[in-house]
Amino acid sequence: MLLHSYVLEAGTTPISYFPIVLQLIMALVFVGGVMIATHLLGPKRKGSDKLENFECGIQSQGNARQPMAINYFLTAILFVLFDVEVIFFYPYAVNFKILGWAGFWEMVLFVAFFFAGFFYIIRKGALNWRD
Amino acid sequence: MNEIVFTAVFGVFLLFSGLFIRSKNAIRFIAITGMGLAFLVNGWEYFHPGNDWPGGMIHADHVSILFNAIALGCTLVYFLLSGKDFEQLGEHLAEYFALVYFILCGVGIASSFTSLLMLFLAIEIISIPQYILAGSQKSNLKSNEASLKYFLMGAFSTGFLLMGIALLYGSTGTFHIGEMNLGGSGIDPLVLTGILFLIVGLTFKVGGAPFHFWTPDVYDGAPSVVTSFMATVVKAAGFIAFLRLFSIAFSADNITAHWTLVIALIAAATLLVGNFTAVFQVSVKRMLAYSSISQAGFMILALVGLGTLAWDGILLYAAAYSLATIGAFAVLIRMEDYTYEGYRGLGKKQPLVALANTVFLLSLTGIPATAGFMAKYFVLSSALQRGGMLWLVILALCCAAVSAYYYFRLIWAMYFQEGEPAILPDRITPAFKGLLIFTALLVVAIGVYPGLVLNWLP
Repeated sequence: MLLHSYVLEAGTTPISYFPIVLQLIMALVFVGGVMIATHLLGPKRKGSDKLENFECGIQSQGNARQPMAINYFLTAILFVLFDVEVIFFYPYAVNFKILGWAGFWEMVLFVAFFFAGFFYIIRKGALNWRD
Repeated sequence: MNEIVFTAVFGVFLLFSGLFIRSKNAIRFIAITGMGLAFLVNGWEYFHPGNDWPGGMIHADHVSILFNAIALGCTLVYFLLSGKDFEQLGEHLAEYFALVYFILCGVGIASSFTSLLMLFLAIEIISIPQYILAGSQKSNLKSNEASLKYFLMGAFSTGFLLMGIALLYGSTGTFHIGEMNLGGSGIDPLVLTGILFLIVGLTFKVGGAPFHFWTPDVYDGAPSVVTSFMATVVKAAGFIAFLRLFSIAFSADNITAHWTLVIALIAAATLLVGNFTAVFQVSVKRMLAYSSISQAGFMILALVGLGTLAWDGILLYAAAYSLATIGAFAVLIRMEDYTYEGYRGLGKKQPLVALANTVFLLSLTGIPATAGFMAKYFVLSSALQRGGMLWLVILALCCAAVSAYYYFRLIWAMYFQEGEPAILPDRITPAFKGLLIFTALLVVAIGVYPGLVLNWLP
């Protein structure tokens, strides 16, 4: 089987999962402990300036939680798609010579799929800011 | 296999044809033609089997192909009957049809998976387009609610499914349902926990009690055209996946001893909840939603049985239930008023529509000479084959009697109550009437001669 794990081949009993439980406990103890420790050990200076949001040094104006145009979300989601495309390009760039022409054509196919999607988005008018 | 490739590619083709073709009739024509082609392509594989993909994660046997044929055939009937009503959903007509194609791609995987990974993928491919379709009426608050509810609940239940798959993999070291070898002596508690999680996840997806709470709200809130598909083909696909998994991977005697009672109790609860809540509904759409829960209870009986009879039963049930419900919904979509009162006097005003609707309701009740009777007969006898399930069969029969109340109430409203039916007369075209009668005849034909479906089984 493709996904057959060698670790599990040696035979599995519930006790094999004990390290995971141990790690869970360790994680909880560590995070909880550190949070309590910093709370107790750290210096405390309270003031109205301290509680203010810091953005870039200029005093912030108004509340950030306001309704935004849906177009921002659409653009953000589309950006993620094209961002992921780049992730596939890096491994290809590293293995460029080994994969040869077969790899090249597969990459062309991949880009073609993407281009089709891009074409669909443009034709559908998803990037028009006002409709 | 052919079905999976064809529906996926054709769905994309529809998306792009939607960019260039403005005419709604042309889009609908392409979608209907594509479904006919998909049916043929799938049928071709029945006679020329054996082109499985490398990797062995999918294997389409004759049962899978037969179920695909039922699903595609029912969708074709659905497109022909209600394809025009897709226009009410919104302006992106080609996309709605494309989403149905993508769902059918998932249905094809659900009927032929051999790896738990593929089961997970199938369930997700089926679910995600449904979230979109349920919320496709963007300005309708109930549609939005249905979509959000379905999405949150569905994502949550997927977690259970994945946990079950992970535990089974952890214990057996394989995703392949044929290679788990759970029949040996000594059962790992992880396996039992995994099976329990899988039962929870899959029961949720098919809307069985006690995980049915999303069903009425989602089916009621979603646009009627969408509900019609969600409650039929998709639900049947869930059961095929359920039965395929349990009859291949968990059918060893020492394993069934652990889960049969759980499934039997789920079946009993689903039957009771579905039927007794359906009695109190005033809206026909909501009644059909609860009736889908109660019909799910009958389909779970096949899981209790687990044998050749169970496969006969589930395939017949898929065909009978889907056709009848698609027909009943096609009439419901054409009503202005979804309550029982809206159907008053339909028998006088539209005799043919009322007649076809009566046949669908009789089939859902399980009256002899309709497909529903044969389907119920096969699932009940498969449950009887397993010893000690007599109580469940008797309970199911009582519930079928209860279901007669709310189905017959609608027939009574159509024929024996005076009034003006709230039907949209301009939507009842002669072609629609003809198709509705044809569907009703199909329901009767399967009921009289179930070999129409079952003779295709090897």
